[in-house]
Amino acid sequence: MPEYSYIGKRMPRIDSLAKVTGAAKYTADLKFPRMLVGKVLRSPLPHARILNIDASRALKLSGVKAVVTGKDTYGEKWGVFRYTQDQMFLPLDKVRYFGEEVAAVAATDEDTALEALELIKVDYEELPAVFDPMEAIAPGAPLIHDDFPQNINIHVHIEVGDVEGGFAKSYLVREDTFTAAEESYFQGEPYAVVARFDLDGNLEIWMPNAGPHMKAKPLSNALRIPLHKVHVRKIAIGGAFGGRSEISPADFICALLAKKTGRPVKIVYTREENTVCTRQGHSMIATIKTGVDKTGRVLARDVTCYMDGGAYSSTGPIATSVPFLCMEQAYKMDSVRYNGYRIYTNKPIRGMIRVHGRAFACGVDTQLDMIAEELGMDPVEIRLVNAREPGEYTPTRSYVASCAMKETILKAAEKARWKEKWGKLPKWRGIGIGCNSVQTGFPMGIRGGSQAIIKFNEDGGATVISGVVDNGQGNDNMLVQIAAEELGLRPEDIQLVTADTEVTPLDPGAYSQVSTFIGGQAVRLAAQDARKKLFQIAARALEAHPDDLVARDRMIFVKGVPHKGLPIQKVIRMGLSQGISVAGEGSYWPKVDPKREWVQNPYGQMCEAFSFGTTIAEVEVDPETGKVKVLEVVAAQDVGFALNPLVLEGQFQGAVAMGGQGGMLTEYHFWDGGRVMNPTQLEYKVPLAIDMPRIHTIIVESVDPKGPYGAKEAGMSIAMSAAQAYSAAICNAIGVYLKDYPLTPDKILKAIREKQEGEGKPNQ
Amino acid sequence: MSKRILKFKVNGEDVELAVEPHWTLLEALREELDLTGTKEGCSEGVCGSCTVLVNGAPVRACLTLALEVEGSEILTVEGLGSPDGLDPLQRAFIERGAVQCGFCTSGMLMAAKGLLLENPNPSQEDIKRALAGNICRCTGYIKIIEAVEEAASLSATPTHESK
Amino acid sequence: MRLPKFDYLEPHTLEEALELRSKAGERGEILAGGTDLLVRMKQRLKRPSFLITLKNLKELEGVMMAEGELTIGAKTSLRDVIRSPWIQRYAKGLAEALSSVGAYTIQHVRGTIGGNLCQDTRCLYYNQSAFWRSGRAPCHKVGGKICYAREGSDRCRSTNQSDGATALLALDARVTLQSLRGERTLGVSDLFTMKGEAPLDISSDEILTTIRIPIASQSAASAYERISYRSAIDFPVACAAVVIEAEDRTIKRARIAVGAMGNAPLLMIQAAELLDGKSLDDEEARAKAAKIAMDHASAFAVDNVGATVEWRVSMVEVLVRRALRRACEAARGIREGS
Repeated sequence: MPEYSYIGKRMPRIDSLAKVTGAAKYTADLKFPRMLVGKVLRSPLPHARILNIDASRALKLSGVKAVVTGKDTYGEKWGVFRYTQDQMFLPLDKVRYFGEEVAAVAATDEDTALEALELIKVDYEELPAVFDPMEAIAPGAPLIHDDFPQNINIHVHIEVGDVEGGFAKSYLVREDTFTAAEESYFQGEPYAVVARFDLDGNLEIWMPNAGPHMKAKPLSNALRIPLHKVHVRKIAIGGAFGGRSEISPADFICALLAKKTGRPVKIVYTREENTVCTRQGHSMIATIKTGVDKTGRVLARDVTCYMDGGAYSSTGPIATSVPFLCMEQAYKMDSVRYNGYRIYTNKPIRGMIRVHGRAFACGVDTQLDMIAEELGMDPVEIRLVNAREPGEYTPTRSYVASCAMKETILKAAEKARWKEKWGKLPKWRGIGIGCNSVQTGFPMGIRGGSQAIIKFNEDGGATVISGVVDNGQGNDNMLVQIAAEELGLRPEDIQLVTADTEVTPLDPGAYSQVSTFIGGQAVRLAAQDARKKLFQIAARALEAHPDDLVARDRMIFVKGVPHKGLPIQKVIRMGLSQGISVAGEGSYWPKVDPKREWVQNPYGQMCEAFSFGTTIAEVEVDPETGKVKVLEVVAAQDVGFALNPLVLEGQFQGAVAMGGQGGMLTEYHFWDGGRVMNPTQLEYKVPLAIDMPRIHTIIVESVDPKGPYGAKEAGMSIAMSAAQAYSAAICNAIGVYLKDYPLTPDKILKAIREKQEGEGKPNQ
Repeated sequence: MSKRILKFKVNGEDVELAVEPHWTLLEALREELDLTGTKEGCSEGVCGSCTVLVNGAPVRACLTLALEVEGSEILTVEGLGSPDGLDPLQRAFIERGAVQCGFCTSGMLMAAKGLLLENPNPSQEDIKRALAGNICRCTGYIKIIEAVEEAASLSATPTHESK
Repeated sequence: MRLPKFDYLEPHTLEEALELRSKAGERGEILAGGTDLLVRMKQRLKRPSFLITLKNLKELEGVMMAEGELTIGAKTSLRDVIRSPWIQRYAKGLAEALSSVGAYTIQHVRGTIGGNLCQDTRCLYYNQSAFWRSGRAPCHKVGGKICYAREGSDRCRSTNQSDGATALLALDARVTLQSLRGERTLGVSDLFTMKGEAPLDISSDEILTTIRIPIASQSAASAYERISYRSAIDFPVACAAVVIEAEDRTIKRARIAVGAMGNAPLLMIQAAELLDGKSLDDEEARAKAAKIAMDHASAFAVDNVGATVEWRVSMVEVLVRRALRRACEAARGIREGS
């Protein structure tokens, strides 16, 4: 293991200072001269034709500077993919969910803007609506999009091997159905947009995003202005979790208002708007049929999923596929069939979310536990039998280069004292395990790679220019660590210009888990490029060969002879005086199968690396109330290489909170037709500090051959395995396998009572 | 509605502000005084991002009318620490990795500050209870609790660190 | 979210406040802590033209003990009530109830006991933003004719979710209301109209100034239990408050109140009577009483606060039983001089 100065070190993040002093600026904090307040008028009906919009009274209100409706657009439909273009940012024809954008105003202050909204008169013709996905695909259901019969938005079909033959050969076959209501992101920061045009028609726009370049292109298309005139700016972002990847109608609307008024416009969403009008997770019904041999090894699996996608496609093909992909990466499987259906309903739009499809993930693992019980194995054993190993191919033919899944299982089990506890815990205590895997990226066509540029100042400092965006997970710090390491500078010498589409080159964005793997790698290569050039200059001065030089702590010196060196600052100046300005350039494009497509061709190399992990949770259930006290959680994750263990621990802990503590115990949306009844944190129960358990984090390093320093994904996977572990632990505690998530106290209590009645025991 | 003059102290400075009755303290701080460190995360008092100290005690700025704090002393995140250095809480949050996206951070700091002003030696349970009303979506709270514990165990004197 | 506009009235004495309250009438609201009122105003459930702030009325604060009665100023903060040694000694159940309200940093400093007692009823079909409620007919509580929580209901079925109200009912508290017309004192149970549309019998010219808790006997013990999915922030979806008066290890009198079921906290008379004369150690009697309380509560519970009715009603039995056990233990402890 090479000795690094900064890589692998527990380093406080460079962006923390601004955040603890209140200096960090988020979108809603921006203030510009003559800025107007924008507000959106939304549909109060879940499905209706728009007959007429009369904004005349609103326009007459003093202080109102503009009103926009569908008539101010080019009437085009947008979609993340060409085959999912189904959404107009301001619809002309009809509204498809309660809360959909219909019009917007810009006014001098918020009170006026709100008053103006009330003065806009919209005539609707209400249409029958459908809120349940199974009802939506039944004959006779109202059609939400004319081009999508039966309201089926996406159908992903994957078939590998001989599924029926596998079942025929199986010693044991089980089929179970698992369901989960939708969950929601509840990022700390409610969505907001600020937009302004300059006199040359350049658009500057700020909003929380998971990939500024992913925002710029659709904005350019929708506004019909050249891409180079769309400048999505860097801003502090209060979380994304998968819900801020693609363009939002608010982005477009804000730009439109800015254009129309000639003034900067700010739109700030309420918490309710953030919940209802950006994205939510999918609810899901997953039927899983699994056949195993006598050793518990899975011979065949057939999964059918019905997912409620809401009113528009969003990242439908991705969201429909990822739950399956996580499973096929985590576990060996020669024969598998998957049919994933994403169905339209008149509900808010669903997108990719950190715990991708808890019904699927928890279903697969719960079923493994059920099978293990029937075979007389314990849950750890059956996972070891099926765990992915390096050098294998996933069923859809992705090669897995680095994989320490088994190590994570063994280490987690050891730390959690599994052998002491399994089957030996006192009544109402349970222990459970979950395993998962997340892809480090997916094919993104011409936006699949990242490029970075590094320039130097005469005083020896450097500026890194990269499209990588930080949603709060620590990407900015990661770039600084890498650049400092490779350039031989200190972190405080590195400036960042990132996530600004005017200046920074293309980057795939953070939402596909590639910021370190692709973005970080590009910065590393750029830094190595710059360093190589510095070495050329220094070599002559030091009368050494460039290959013998080392850069460390602001110095370039001959390996092993640290006193025979030159300060980097001097080398830069030497270069300048020779007419050589040194800059570094690097780009990284993962070698993926360019023909792989979510729906048309879901086979081929998906990405270059996968992370793997295991979570074990121990819980205590109150048999009188069904409430769960989580005692201890152990999360072991193969992250390839830990660039910054301090940051990683925070990611693990946050993932346990989101996927397990919230995702399995209390988080779900409930409905009144098309209205979500719990749009705020009061009634949507995100976990609190007071309920958190002890969490042990175990970093496992398989050192991926392609990842920078061996690093790969680390932020998302634990959320999924935590959900699985919590679910398994609760089932173990009460002796009942539960299949409907989340496992709220009422469901747990009901299961306990039904079991007691079944056993002829009185209620305790 | 005509504006009224509000006289109060913010981060040690006397402030005189013309406010409308329906303005919240949060809006007055953010929009009139440009102190945007205090955040609006839900506007109904649940998430804690708007927590500030009024006369040393934590309150929700989004549920406090500006006119209600006439004559009071307000402490926001911008008032933590001094030109000479950071408050031990701020330093501990940085060093312990308790800050991820940062949106909940100012509320957490102010709730923690309110706790330490009253109880300089809190137990872990005391800390969890004091922060029970502050929601964080990123960290899982563990490092935040550790940071408050660390700050409590340090002395109250800030080190000489540039802001 | 923006508050609607209003006029802010700032009395400096109670007399002034009563005058303003009388003038403003139905168009005015009292602003104590505001942690509940302001949310409802942001949601446009309440749109008063006048807010009468109590911020200068120090005379409405404080906990005092005199002549066998605890007197609490209605404007006393939750924190100060909880920390009062009198309350800890003679009305522990109230301290427990108020401690469980929301979270310290939300309500305990600004929130007041009067505000918590007078907390308006709640319903997830009602406590939503103006936008959420638009696009369909208004419900009973907003002045309409429909109930979305219970189909066909001809009246409002909103739920009282006040921890303080439940505890004060069990403690047999009385409240004093003042107006320019005079003063009246009534039992907490009489404060509730059982009408979700207007749940409190407080006229628009009255201000609730004092809460009085009788100290029934030196050996009375009280306890409070509540349940919600999380350990803070949430309103209770079921709660129970009990008071046990005992003599010679025998229960002389019990009071059981159940909350988060129906428009007002419920006094469970039959369940409490069952405990008369029973031993402080009689677990079976406590279980029976809890079951009776649960059965009675089930008639009132409506599915409008987020958890299933079935579960909430079962929790009544658990909470009453647990509160009774703790109150009996405490009564025993007092008896034995601990």
